[in-house]
Formats: sequence, structure tokens, C-alpha cells
Amino acid sequence: MQKRIKSANSLRSKSEIVLRNTVVASLILFFLVFFYIPIFAAFYGSFHLWNPLKGQFKPIGLKNWQTVLNNSLFWFSMKNTGVFSIVAVAARVIIGLLLASALFSKLVKARSFFRMLYYMPTITPMVAVAFVWKNMYDPQFGLLNQLLGSKINWLFDGRYAMIAILLLTIWKDFGYAVVIFLGGMYSLPMDCFEAAEIDGANARQRFFRITLPLLKPTVIFIVITSFISYFQTYIPVMVLTQGGPGTKTYLASYLIFDQAFSKYNFGYASAMSFILFLIIAILTAVSFKAAGENGQ
Amino acid sequence: MKHLTRRALSLVLALALLLSACGAFAEESTIIGSTIQYDTSKPINNGEDIAVEFWYWTGSDKLFQAVVDEYTAIHPNVKITLVENPWDDYWTKLPLALQGKDGPAIFNVHNSYHENVIGYLAPYDIPVEDLEADFVGVSAHIIDGKVYYTDYGMMTATMYYNKAMWAAAGLTEADIPKTWDEFREVAKKLTIRDENGNLVQAGFSFNGGAQGDVLGMQYQYGQNLFTADNKVSFNNDAIKAVIQRMKDIYEVDGSGDYNFGNNSGDNFGQGMIAMYLGWGFMHGLFQSLWPETEFGSFEIPTPTEEVPYAYHRYNGESTFGVNKNAPADQQAVAQDIIRFFLAKDALQKQFVLANSVFPAKKSLAEDADILGVSSIAVLANHIDRYIWPGPMPSAVENNMKIALEDIFYNGADIETALKNAEETCNMELEGSEFVSVEPQYTYASEAK
Repeated sequence: MQKRIKSANSLRSKSEIVLRNTVVASLILFFLVFFYIPIFAAFYGSFHLWNPLKGQFKPIGLKNWQTVLNNSLFWFSMKNTGVFSIVAVAARVIIGLLLASALFSKLVKARSFFRMLYYMPTITPMVAVAFVWKNMYDPQFGLLNQLLGSKINWLFDGRYAMIAILLLTIWKDFGYAVVIFLGGMYSLPMDCFEAAEIDGANARQRFFRITLPLLKPTVIFIVITSFISYFQTYIPVMVLTQGGPGTKTYLASYLIFDQAFSKYNFGYASAMSFILFLIIAILTAVSFKAAGENGQ
Repeated sequence: MKHLTRRALSLVLALALLLSACGAFAEESTIIGSTIQYDTSKPINNGEDIAVEFWYWTGSDKLFQAVVDEYTAIHPNVKITLVENPWDDYWTKLPLALQGKDGPAIFNVHNSYHENVIGYLAPYDIPVEDLEADFVGVSAHIIDGKVYYTDYGMMTATMYYNKAMWAAAGLTEADIPKTWDEFREVAKKLTIRDENGNLVQAGFSFNGGAQGDVLGMQYQYGQNLFTADNKVSFNNDAIKAVIQRMKDIYEVDGSGDYNFGNNSGDNFGQGMIAMYLGWGFMHGLFQSLWPETEFGSFEIPTPTEEVPYAYHRYNGESTFGVNKNAPADQQAVAQDIIRFFLAKDALQKQFVLANSVFPAKKSLAEDADILGVSSIAVLANHIDRYIWPGPMPSAVENNMKIALEDIFYNGADIETALKNAEETCNMELEGSEFVSVEPQYTYASEAK
């Protein structure tokens, strides 16, 4: 009997080992093929004059890196990216929190409907949405000017072009924050709220003293993932302004896209990508450290 | 008598048989073309079945289908699969496909992507002298004595005008302007504002894509776009004069506005503007998208009434390319299709009319149907006065676009914007193999 159990155990452990090895190997292979090798290839390529369409791959040392570091448009785009990301993240968090709190309230009916309504822009393809917004921004026939009674050339006036891109981005993305915050709120301990209510705390106090502190990990999660995502924004720029007027709405990722896929200057684009990658990595590390310290 | 009649009848019958046999023989060996000739009786691939792929970008399916239908009617043993890709995808997928052995044997070429495809092209097996005898502009495409593709048509910018607006302003054919000063006066007459001074109808608009117009108008002042060492020249008096005139048309004359529509081509079709400087392909686009807008064309005005160094630049619509990495038998079919396409005037004519370009084939230069297209007809007298700078990398137009938007929308001064654009562009061209063919222009010696 003991022998039979032992043999069954060893069989189970053998099959488990095979399964474990297969799963782990698949994951390693996946990350290797789709992440680490491309990252290494891009880093190696950044030291080359690289146009894959021409089969060109000529070593040029640090030239791409020197050019990037001395390129005023790159730093201007980085500044734009920073401002764009801060505004978009702030708007996403604030609107998301407000609407999630509203939906969390017992007074609101048809929650599922509103949740679906808010989330719909998030799941629509960005290119399609951007083309619709492009029409809305038309100075003559656009819906936005007609609603506001204004005559703004949204996409060609340097004062408004970035705002136009931000409006689209915020509208498209706030639903994601609503759903995540709402999920976070539902997982909060209800007894805290009940105790606060008995103690006479009003809704505002409950939000700022209980909901917000308890939701801090969710807020940090949204802030970090949003920053990473907004640092890589290029589709709305490509569809709405192509970086214009002039270079007013150039974002770092659009500049990289332009160098890689319009000018096929992959080496130069790789050097820019790596600088952006380092900045995102540093920001993420700082955010995680801050979050960890907060947690303690 | 009976014998005589029988004999005569036999003779007539024999003659008739002989003639019909000769006729049949003549039909089988029909030769198409003048210098470049195509023999329809000559089998391809020894008459054995063969399949090839023919790649092209979206928008011309009927044209390419016509080539395939006519060719396969002669050679039923050849199966041609047409593969269509959207423009952007095409130029990413094609060069990658050409690197392997499974790429298309034959494909459509656009000279703006010259650098990315030239390394994969096989030279035409048609002698250069034959190409030059039948087509204009071949010399600009000769590389080391070989031609890898040439032009079937030349596309350039012409001025389009809305006929109804023209008539409503009391203008006639006699008012068609020859110089820019005359043009500005006409534009003023075509401009309509409401009682509050708001623009209702612009006399002229260049909003959205003015770089295509500006990069060509400097030739009217004798200024080439590239220097002898293949550097781009933006920051010069000619381009400054062109841009200043564009600004004056809006800011001094009030004939247009930077914020009155963002795409002058579409806005012309929509009936918002009276005159628009556009390239040949817009002719077909207007007809298909806005058939209710009746329009005419006139040649681009010039600074003075004298014939300029060049009226504008042209860009060639290219003939097909042959994949040098394709199997030899497929390459032979591709070469044969190209010979057929170049020899057959009817096909050339279809491509020319569909794209509203001036025909590069000399035998079509005076074709009544082609000259019936207004945007082509206006070029007929001066087609030799249009210059091709060569297959310009996209950096040239991109940087001019940035400079113009900085000037028109961001309030930058002309000199600074052009200087910045010139520096950036030349930096981006450093790794490029682009060589300007401006020195090959017939009147190159007249350049300043």
C-alpha cells in the first residue's frame, strides 16, 4: 500500500515537474523573444546606421546618442511629454475618483449602465476615435466650436493644439480609472464606513478620511501605469496634428515613431527609445519606492 | 467558257485562301509599339504554366486589373495574382518582402521610396536608347547605364478654379492670370466676406500641405532646391519671396485666412474657396468626391510674363519594378509584362488619364483625350519647363512643413524658420544616398 502511494506521489511530482518546466520555459521564451531580445537589439542598433528596409546596418559608434543628446527637438518633446503626462494622469485620477465615488454611492441607480457608458471610450480603437475628434475640432464645421460658440482652430493654433490632444486622451481614458477605483472601493472594509457614519462623519469626511487613504495603493497603481502609458503616446498626435503646428505638439514617442517609421532611421530612433526607457524606468522605480515607504 | 469560269472561280478561291492565310499569319505576329516593341505571338516561359505576384498600393485596382487582363489574354499560361496594400503598409512590407525569395516578381514603384527599393530592383532588359526614343525623362533614371524604372507620366501643380464662383465674380476666360500680381487681383475679386468681415468664400487657400506648393515655386526665380553637394537650400531669397507672397495674399490682400479650413484641397471641393494650387491627381479626386463642383485649370502664374527657369517641379509617376531576388523564370515574366505595358499606348493612356498626369510617352503627347483633361492641357506648351529634382527623401517636405507651420501659425519669422528647417533637413540627409538630378534639367545652365 505504502509502495503504491509512494509511486503515485513520484508520478504526480514527475508530471508536475514537466508541467512546471514547460510553463516556465514558455514564459521565459516569450519574454526572451518579445521583450529581451528586441530590447537588446534596439540597444545594439542604437550604435548603428540602421535601416532594415535597405538591409543597412553600419556601425557608427556613439553618433546617434550624441545627436539625440544635442537635439533640441528631442528635449522639447520630452518636456511636452512630461507636461502632457502630468496633466493627463491628474485628470484621469481626479475624474476617475469623482465618478467612481458617485457610482459607489447608494443613491445612484443604474450603476451598471453608467459603468458601461464610462468604460466604452476606453475600449474603442484610438485611431478611429481620433479621426472622429479630428472632425469635431474642425474650425468651420466642428461640433466643439458650435457647442462653445467659438472660432478656435483647435489643431493649428499653438495655444490649443496640445489641449485638443489632452481633451481626447482624457475623454478616452477616464473610464479605465473609474472601473479600477470602483473595484477598489468595493473591496474596502465596510465596517469602517459604518463606524464613521455612526460617529457622525459626513460624506466629504468619509471620502477624504477613509476612502482616499484606503485607496492609496489603487491610486499609486493607476498613477504608475498611466505615466508609463502616457510616456508612450503617439497615435492622437499622429492623427490630429502630426506634431504641428510646427513642432508644438511633438511628444517623445511621436518623434521616435516619426524617425523609425517615416524616415526609417532605426538606429537614431533606438537611441531615443533607450533614453525614454531609462526615464520611465527611473520614474517607475521612484514611484514604487515612494509607494513602499508609504505602505510602511 | 464553262472551263474558263471554273478556272477563274478556282483562282479567286485560291487567292482568297492565300489572303486569309496571310491575314491569320499577320494577326498571330502582331507587333505592338514603335521603338519598344512587343510581339504578342512570342510565348512566355515556353508556354508552360507559371504564377507571379504583382504588388500595388490601394486606389488603382482597375488599372492593374486591366494590365493583368490584357496580358493574360495573350498569355493564358501566366497566372498573375494582384496583391493590394494600403500605402503606408505597402512601403513597410514591400522592402522586407523583397529581401527574401518569396517577394513579388513585379510591383508598383513610387520614386519617393527610391532609396528603400533600389537595392532590390533588376534593371530593365530594354535598351536605354529604346526607352529614350519612346519616353521623355529617362535620362534622370539612368544608374550606371541601366534603367530600373522610369516615368509613365509627369505630375505637377496647376491652379484649379471654381467656374461658378469665377462667373459670379464677373470674371471670364480672359481674366485668367499669367503673373502673381494678376493672380492676387483676381483672388481679391473672388473673395467674399459677410457684413462682419468674416470670410465666407476665400479667393485662394493654401491651408494644409503648402509645402508641396512652396517646394517648386523657387524655380520660378531660377533657384535650385539643392546645392552642388546635394545639400538642401531653403534659406534663400527665392523661397523667402515665395513665402512672403503667400503671407501677403492672406494678411495684406485678405483673400484667404489661415483658419478658414485646414485642408484647402477638400475645402475647394466643398465650395469654400475659389482657387487652389493642387497636383494633378486632385483632378480625378474632385470629379469623384465632389462631382457637383465644376472646375477648370490654368497654369501656375509666374513672377513676370517672361518664361521662367522652370514653372514648378514635377514628380514622375513611375513604371513598375522587377524583383532581382525573384526566381529567374518569374523575373522573365515580370520583364515581359513591363515591355508589354511600355509598348501598349492604350494601357499607358489609361494610367495617364486615371492619374491626370502629362504622358511621358512621346506618342501620346498630343492625344486629344489626354489633352481634354484641363489640368494636363495647360502644361502642354511648357512641359519642358518643369523640373524634377530627383527622388527627394521625405525629410525635405517634412522639414518645409514644419517651417511653414511655424511661419503661418506660430508667428515665427521667415528667415529663422527656414534656417532651422534647412539645418535640420541637412542633418537628416547626412546618411542619405540622395543625388539631385537638377543638373540634368534641359535648362540647368539658366539657374542662378
